Amino acid sequence: MSLEILLIIAFGGAFLVYFSGKISPNLRDRFAVFISLLLVLIISCLYGKNIEKTFYMGFLGIPLVLRVNMLSWLFAMVISSIGSLSVIFSLSYIRYKEKTDFYYLMLLLVNSAMLGIVMAGDLASFFIFWEIMSWTAFFIICYKRGPALAAGIKYIVLSIIGSMAMLIGVLSIQTRFDTLIIPELSAKFASASSGYILFILITFGIGFGVKSAVVPLHTWLPDAHSQAPTPFSAVLSGVLTKMGIYGFILFFYFILVLNQFLGLGSDVFNLHNILCWIGAITIVIPTFIALLQNDAKRLLAWHSIGQIGYIILGISIGTSMGVASGIFHMLNHATFKALLFLTVGAVEYRTNGIRDLNSLGGLMKKMPVTFIAALIGALGIIGVPLTNGFVSKWMIYKTLILNTHPFLAFAALLGTWGTILSLYKFVHNIFLGQLPEKLKDVKKAPFDMQFSLIILSIVIILFGVLPGIPLKVINSIIGSAGFSTLNISIWGIASETGTLNTINIFAAILGVGVIVWLIFKAGRQSKQVDQYDNYAAGFAIPKDKYHYTVEYYAPFYRMATPFLVDIFDIIYEKIAKAIENICDCIRKIYTGYVGNYVMYIVFFMAFLILIQLKWSVF
Amino acid sequence: MNIIAILISPLIALITGMFFLGISRKIMARLQWRYGPPIMQPVIDVIRSFSQMSISHGSLFDFGIIVSLTGSFVLTLFLPTGELCVFTSGGLIAFIYLMLLEPLGIALSGAAAANPNSSIGISRKFLLSLAYEIPLLLVLLAVMTRYNTISLVEIVKIQESTGWAIGSWTLVLPGIAYFLILPAILGVRPFEMVKATQEISSGPVAEFGGKHLAFSILQHALHMFIGVALFVDIFLGGWTLFGLLDPLSGTLWVVILGIIIFLFKMTFVLVIEIFINAVYPRYRIEQAMNYLLKWPTLISFIGLIIVVLVK
Repeated sequence: MSLEILLIIAFGGAFLVYFSGKISPNLRDRFAVFISLLLVLIISCLYGKNIEKTFYMGFLGIPLVLRVNMLSWLFAMVISSIGSLSVIFSLSYIRYKEKTDFYYLMLLLVNSAMLGIVMAGDLASFFIFWEIMSWTAFFIICYKRGPALAAGIKYIVLSIIGSMAMLIGVLSIQTRFDTLIIPELSAKFASASSGYILFILITFGIGFGVKSAVVPLHTWLPDAHSQAPTPFSAVLSGVLTKMGIYGFILFFYFILVLNQFLGLGSDVFNLHNILCWIGAITIVIPTFIALLQNDAKRLLAWHSIGQIGYIILGISIGTSMGVASGIFHMLNHATFKALLFLTVGAVEYRTNGIRDLNSLGGLMKKMPVTFIAALIGALGIIGVPLTNGFVSKWMIYKTLILNTHPFLAFAALLGTWGTILSLYKFVHNIFLGQLPEKLKDVKKAPFDMQFSLIILSIVIILFGVLPGIPLKVINSIIGSAGFSTLNISIWGIASETGTLNTINIFAAILGVGVIVWLIFKAGRQSKQVDQYDNYAAGFAIPKDKYHYTVEYYAPFYRMATPFLVDIFDIIYEKIAKAIENICDCIRKIYTGYVGNYVMYIVFFMAFLILIQLKWSVF
Repeated sequence: MNIIAILISPLIALITGMFFLGISRKIMARLQWRYGPPIMQPVIDVIRSFSQMSISHGSLFDFGIIVSLTGSFVLTLFLPTGELCVFTSGGLIAFIYLMLLEPLGIALSGAAAANPNSSIGISRKFLLSLAYEIPLLLVLLAVMTRYNTISLVEIVKIQESTGWAIGSWTLVLPGIAYFLILPAILGVRPFEMVKATQEISSGPVAEFGGKHLAFSILQHALHMFIGVALFVDIFLGGWTLFGLLDPLSGTLWVVILGIIIFLFKMTFVLVIEIFINAVYPRYRIEQAMNYLLKWPTLISFIGLIIVVLVK
């Protein structure tokens, strides 16, 4: 299957879905699921292929190249699978809302554009697909209007700044090297001066940094993620932010040669050291800001930024295990963050849009599958053993400790503890504790929602117990980037300085667990009681009031709130306000009275005549 | 050998943990001029509770406590008890992560009970663990960086040749910091606010009775063992005692004597902790966080800087 047909199916399918929606909504739903699953199928057939195809379409005389290799295959697989799960989830979620056709069109277009980005073999088509992605994402973020519009505008303004910076980079490369084809560029960059490389990396880095929400370019993300329709939040957080990561990996290790990237700058102010520290800051501060949030999606959105920090830290450390851990964590974050967003979506769907963590509770018994999925997602993002998050985080920590970066390792570990606190709060406040009376009649999530949740949960556990499956692909990626490959078996990583063997941990937990469970079974049968048969020091239990969720970590909030402020957001808001004020002043000229405009014209003419009379310039 | 080790190390941990619970009650009683319960009392409690009927708030309520006890037993397999260490996979980093299973299990179980006392206790537990994990992580990173390994067994082995970590000038500060946060890890008196019997009715375990309570006592015993054992392994040289066992090396006696030396060191540390427990009142959670994030963190941070500079 050639690549242009893949992209034609992706883009054409999106429009076909849109027009079929005009005929019948059922046809549209089936068609959307079919297209997205077809893409997964085609891409999985491309495994291990190395195709490159050039088109001379005469676009400004620049050849357009499409290609696929292991790196783009992995990203394409993540995009298409998360995309199709999100489409399946949308079936119930979006059915009775307005502009459904438009929603599906944009959702499928974003996925197609992202497929285009990872399959682009030259920077011109890369940039075109990048812009399609930015704009279609903007339309979905604004789907709900109201506050969503403000969030969307914030997103698109930062996005445009990023893509303009990127455009400068593309133009500069074109004028200097006279080619934009990626494999050719790496030969040209080999002889470029380090100053020029730095310039290119900064221009592209702003574009990628905005998309992947690296501090200080992250401010659009919490608003956009929380305002977008939830199935799209999963795509936004799971996949769209990863396009920036794809760009970073592409530039650091495939366009530049390995040593070229690591050798940029002096010993102390090395570019990759600085990036590591940016990654560390991106982990710690957003994770602790997440702890203060009360909106479920906003909490997860801040965690997205935090997890991006781990990925940045991994890929910029520049050792083979570091880069492998970064790519692996990218994959894992796509799974568990999509899962967490989708569970919020399911809860939102069944409770008529309640996302406030303070007004939910006790939904565990009403939505058991959703609860288990949320728990697995939470364990994954924390990195509890036997989930995929554990393996990638273990690799990051090990790299950092053995390369003597204990402070970076500390930042990474600290981020994990912040994650535990806020994700426990997330699970507890939605699913545990007392069930409020108003949520008594909540039904369990419909099957198509549960389907996406179950698939993602299985993937998280599967990659956690058998990390060798994804690591094999990642190994060949880092091999093609010039790193020494890791020694990987199906259940772990062997090395001289510490081996990870997940099957050992799995066997120990399973074996001991079964024994403990049997002993537990051997005890007397316990009596099942409901939530109102509870200890209350002898008093009757007041309904709806015997629940502890508001200000879950109150002492911490009192201590930390003054320190956990998003300074960059405030600065950007101030800049935006200042620009708005300047524009307002300029706008005062346009009063709307014709008389005033005539006056301006007369004054201007008089001014010209004066100049002519005095100095006779014209 | 390996199968025997798999059976023996959890058993040693369990017996020692129950013994620790027993002697801590006895020593506390004697310090307060009481006679105190017999040392076997916690064992009797467990057996009695196990045979009594309990209430259950659903499957998560049962599942949580099973996970918690499982986590504790698994940790004993990953911990060098004397020279016995069954699994080494993943080293100290995996160990830190496996330590999460205990509190997470209790937290799920307690929250499934739908009792605000439990939820308050869990919230305090997580805040307290955030506060003590910050110095603890700095300490563990200092040790791992100093010895350039992530393996717990390696760390003990290196101490066998170079002397106890707490005796070396590079690691003395992390050692002191660890000792300062040890009461918080064990959950004894100045940092007892998680259970706070008089305030929030035993916190996370408020709803536990019967076999659930028996399991939570066992889990507590194992937790005491693991908390102290990790300190002994990392800073007090594990099973080593000034080369006393060198002439016997290679025989089974080393293993047995190693375990005895190890348990002796642990008892010593525990008795000091009980004395601290006896003289202090309970902190509030803010006071505990203030303390933990101030002195131990500062000391361990300086310790880590020294380790990095030496390298």
